[in-house]
Amino acid sequence: MTDQPHAAITIRTGPVTMPGGRVILQPLDLQLSERRIAVIGRNGSGKTSFMRLLAGLIRADHGAVTLQGADMYKDRRAALTQIGILFQNPDHQILMPTVTEELAFGLIQKGMARKEAEAEVARRLQVEGRSHWVDASTATLSGGQKQYLCLLAILMMQPQCLLLDEPFSGLDMPTALRLRRRLAQLPQQLITIGHDPRELGDCTRVLWFEAGRVQMDGPPETVLPVFTETMIRAGERDADTDLAS
Amino acid sequence: MLTLTSPVKTPFHRLPAGLKMALMMGFGIAVMWAQSPGPLLVAAAVVIMLYLFCGPAVMRLALRALLSLWPFLGMLLIWGWWDGRMAQATLVSLRLGVMVAAANLVTMTTPLSEMLVVFETLARPFSRFIPPRRLALAFALVIRFVPEMGTTLQRLRDAWRARSRRRPGWRIVVPVLLSALDNADHTAEALRARGGVDGIGNADAKKPQPLPAEKA
Repeated sequence: MTDQPHAAITIRTGPVTMPGGRVILQPLDLQLSERRIAVIGRNGSGKTSFMRLLAGLIRADHGAVTLQGADMYKDRRAALTQIGILFQNPDHQILMPTVTEELAFGLIQKGMARKEAEAEVARRLQVEGRSHWVDASTATLSGGQKQYLCLLAILMMQPQCLLLDEPFSGLDMPTALRLRRRLAQLPQQLITIGHDPRELGDCTRVLWFEAGRVQMDGPPETVLPVFTETMIRAGERDADTDLAS
Repeated sequence: MLTLTSPVKTPFHRLPAGLKMALMMGFGIAVMWAQSPGPLLVAAAVVIMLYLFCGPAVMRLALRALLSLWPFLGMLLIWGWWDGRMAQATLVSLRLGVMVAAANLVTMTTPLSEMLVVFETLARPFSRFIPPRRLALAFALVIRFVPEMGTTLQRLRDAWRARSRRRPGWRIVVPVLLSALDNADHTAEALRARGGVDGIGNADAKKPQPLPAEKA
């Protein structure tokens, strides 16, 4: 399962419009089959919306995101077994008051009986060396621990593709390094949002978003130098005065 | 009251949640029945004895939880004294104190998940109107997000204080509500990302689907 390409996510979508009428993503036509893909771009460029579109949390005005023939927005059953999404802010992702309930939730959602799901959680926490987390309240976890819990919750649902929205933001260095090692070992397809080109070492394809459309798409050695140079030039001007219209 | 969880395992943790809640109900009825201080003092002694089994850490937490009851008891007693029915007021205060102490003991020694199973069982006759799964989810979300709203309130107050010399008062209400609505949006999305309110395995299939063994 190491380097062979994954089943491609096919994105053929029209614009994505917010309820107010603002277009947050322009029409897209992409095939994503690489094992490690990075999504880069400035704040407000549409990266997170792109992830939400992939995960089937929002839909385009027309067209669809499909994986193995299933529409990710309409066919939630298929979407859940195929795509897992890690939100940027773990507090927006954690639904349950305790660690066990949070981890068991996804399994119960997939149809496992509660007792069975809780046993599975206990087993998994033991494998992870975190048996003492079983009864812990999710509110008492640190930022890094919450991030870890969210990742574990998604991994336990066994998706083939993981969408990670800036997984390292807000983590201290050792925690970030540990998470990076953990992610590198995963056999799944990973699509990661990042800001810093230095963090994108092991990806084989980079999508650069600008103003809701793909500005550049290619291997990191082609995209990253242009991106970095453009960002440095933008930084020399007064970069953050533009308002999203 | 929501943070009422015993820091140590007590003998009462092993009792089934349903039994504890039934005993609590019986105890509550008995306490309401009692019309003289004698039986109430016996009830109080029983509660104190039960706490003695749990050790000092639990007793300290219980006393702190009871502290929030003093204003009510105080008001009751002052009203009783003013109204000339001191005996009645003492009786009511004693009842309240004993019942809350006993209920706190049940809460502290019962994991939330077990409590929820009892609620789900009790709500089963109404399952046509309130699906048990949704009820359980609603309970869990309330318990998860009530403390979160407290944190939000604190955060917005801090933000206000950092830039104003006056106290925020009622003006903080709208931002807190907006933040709660925003939070609700995020929660809805997180729920959708993991199968929605009813899950994907339960809509039409009742028996659990076997999951393929993970390779990682």
